[in-house]
Amino acid sequence: MIDQLTKEFEDCRSHLRSYILRMTTNVEETDDIVQETYLKAHANIESFKGDASLRTWIFAIASNLARDHLRSKKRWPENVTDICREAALSNQQFLQEMGQIRMTSPQGNFEIKEHIAFCFTCISKSLPLEQQLTLLLKEVYEFKVKEIAEIIDNTEAMVKYYLHIGRSKMIEIFDKRCSLINKEGICHQCTELNGMFNPKQKAQEEVMKIEMAREAENGDKEHLFDLRTKIVQGIDPFQSDASELQLHHLQHNRKVMEEYLKKS
Amino acid sequence: MIMTTTSISMAQDGRAQTNKKTFSRQTAVSTNIAADASIIWTLLTNGADISRWNSTIVSFEGDIVQGEKIKLKSIVDPSRVFTIKVKSVKAENEMVWADGTAPFFRGVRTFSLKSNPDGTNTFSMIEKMGGLMYPMAAKHIPDFDDSFEQFAADLKREAELIQNSKN
Repeated sequence: MIDQLTKEFEDCRSHLRSYILRMTTNVEETDDIVQETYLKAHANIESFKGDASLRTWIFAIASNLARDHLRSKKRWPENVTDICREAALSNQQFLQEMGQIRMTSPQGNFEIKEHIAFCFTCISKSLPLEQQLTLLLKEVYEFKVKEIAEIIDNTEAMVKYYLHIGRSKMIEIFDKRCSLINKEGICHQCTELNGMFNPKQKAQEEVMKIEMAREAENGDKEHLFDLRTKIVQGIDPFQSDASELQLHHLQHNRKVMEEYLKKS
Repeated sequence: MIMTTTSISMAQDGRAQTNKKTFSRQTAVSTNIAADASIIWTLLTNGADISRWNSTIVSFEGDIVQGEKIKLKSIVDPSRVFTIKVKSVKAENEMVWADGTAPFFRGVRTFSLKSNPDGTNTFSMIEKMGGLMYPMAAKHIPDFDDSFEQFAADLKREAELIQNSKN
């Protein structure tokens, strides 16, 4: 059984790691939780009854650890990206570090779709924890409602409720903010950063490479959100071409949020 | 006087009914909802989300927890903020909100949920208002029937949408 656990853990490690990162936004804490998940699973393997899959069981342990870790922490505000943008623009050191990563790191590319995934992480932290967790498990990691109910130890009805309300809220926030899908959207950060990191590219051409932006005029908000989550699904924040740049940016946002929430 | 139970036989068709008396008025609505009780109850008691699905609520502040005060603006009179006390909450069963001061004027709204053998749940909402001052105020209090029907229809639609969402 231990062999089976070790194999399953290795198979799902990258998903598990990105899932926890999207909740904690902290690489060190993520790696601690992932390691602790394995140790706990190893120590309790006798209690695994096989009612759920091993993958589901592993995600349940990890989710519990992440929840324990995050329960006392405040959630981020919806306008997190505005607050962090202001902080970044007045932080010369951070901007220089980002420039350095862009110039020297093999994982320092900037792509708009990578920023979309980054933005999804930041905005999803404005949802109540149970909603964020449920949304990530369903929309990004493609668990079934029944499996999510096992992971978060709740009923399928409540999982559906969390999913519905979490999705509705995210759709509303993106519809109000994201200029990729709404011409009146107040946030242009992805194209702004693209201009900064890829000055030779034409922003509009880059935007049109993204299906979600091409389909924006159709106005089906649910469909646009599904296209957004497809982008997020396709990006491993630890392995992508932009991972070092995005992780550095995420660390910046987390620190800004910690300071901001301390004062609020 | 208005705290005594007044029985109105309610059809579960989402149509509101009002009974008027000299010192009191009662409006009631009831509807069958094909959704899990936990979904219906969470929709009713999550103050942070209630104005999203409930088109009769213009704005809402506060936590729907027993003993707490909530502030809401309703489409019945959007210019006025109602400060209401959550008198009791029995999960997935009954909740009572109240405002005003007996014996002069008091409004009591009771939300209840009853499970049916076919798996559906019957949601009922009754507002009783009355008191010594009621006759003078009565003509200034708008009719609740439309907003009650709208409330029940919104709750039914939202709960059934969630219940039937993909697995």
